Amino acid sequence: MNNHTHQGRVLSDKDLAEQVARLPNEMTPERELWSGIERAINHKGQQESDNKPSNFFVPSAWAASVLLVMLVSWFTFSPSIGDMKAPEMAQTQQKEGITQGQLVSFMQTNFQQQKQTLLVSYGQPTLDKLPAAMQKELKQLSDARASIRKALLADENNADLLNLLDFTQQQELKLLQQLYRQYQVI
Amino acid sequence: MDNQEKNRNKVIDGQALFSANKGQGNGEELWIAQAKQGSQSAFYKLYEKHHRPIYALCWRMLADKDSAEDVCQEVFVVLWQKINNFRGESKFSTWLHSVATNVVLGHLRKHKNWLQRVFSIEEQGASLVEPSTGLTDDSTLTVLDRHIARLPERARLVFVLFAVEGYRHEEIAKMLKMAVGSSKSQYHRARNLLKESLSDIEFSSVEQGMGHE
Repeated sequence: MNNHTHQGRVLSDKDLAEQVARLPNEMTPERELWSGIERAINHKGQQESDNKPSNFFVPSAWAASVLLVMLVSWFTFSPSIGDMKAPEMAQTQQKEGITQGQLVSFMQTNFQQQKQTLLVSYGQPTLDKLPAAMQKELKQLSDARASIRKALLADENNADLLNLLDFTQQQELKLLQQLYRQYQVI
Repeated sequence: MDNQEKNRNKVIDGQALFSANKGQGNGEELWIAQAKQGSQSAFYKLYEKHHRPIYALCWRMLADKDSAEDVCQEVFVVLWQKINNFRGESKFSTWLHSVATNVVLGHLRKHKNWLQRVFSIEEQGASLVEPSTGLTDDSTLTVLDRHIARLPERARLVFVLFAVEGYRHEEIAKMLKMAVGSSKSQYHRARNLLKESLSDIEFSSVEQGMGHE
């Protein structure tokens, strides 16, 4: 039989259905998962029995404080910049004679302050205890921030990049908050 | 031990035996009841019995080993919190699978790749995507699992939920917040992509086999 006999043939629905039916119902994880589950359920149980009311307020309090730091920073920079989108921010930046470098530097300082506040609120966690995939995502965001900053310094008045920088900074903060809530280990 | 105490133990043992042999077998109902009372050792038995199928579900939906392991843990943490909601109206494994499916979908919503959000990348491509690192080298996976993992996300989710987990398109559409028609079209898309990619392997292996004869 030559090779050309099967060319252009596609697996039938029946064949596919048979393969699906033969799929194993179980897979074994490589990592030992129980100890993490046990830690999490004990931790949650402890939290619930300790001080439910104060625990409830911790995330909201910190979210509020982060928001406050953000707002104060924006309004200190310019009284009208707080509710601006990146294109308007770029226009104001031109009008006020602020260089893009200064703006990027301000955004970076502001972001670092927010991040520091967040991490302090979580008890200066050790990020390298996070699962590899999460560490990778944090690293990707950090690399992306660095690349966008670099691109912004080379490309004056690029509102899209400015917007993107702000977005990546906010994503990193959000991710840290989510990771803290999810793992309670960072 | 006096007679009264002996009798009491006898009754308790009888209940346990009844529970162990009734319906779900292997003492599962007893473990569920004990876990509801806060017994971690009973909960561990439930984990031991169910974590492999749940991990398989997580793996197939997420197509990533690390995420699947993390989410599988999350499923059991959620199970511990919600086990009192299990009323025994369906099989425990069925109920647990629906809990797991919701946890996986919640995880996907929370952790959706930031690049997709920035650039609104929708997997419109007609071909399979590149598998994540280590996926193609994993010899423990079946050929079909490796190909499912390479499907675009939506097509993969619909395919796993419909073809593997047995949900109806109406249920999937609700879970994935899409139209019923979209669920059906994503399923057809997945099926066609799988048939195409599996055909190459299927027929080339048949031909190789014939070459040996």
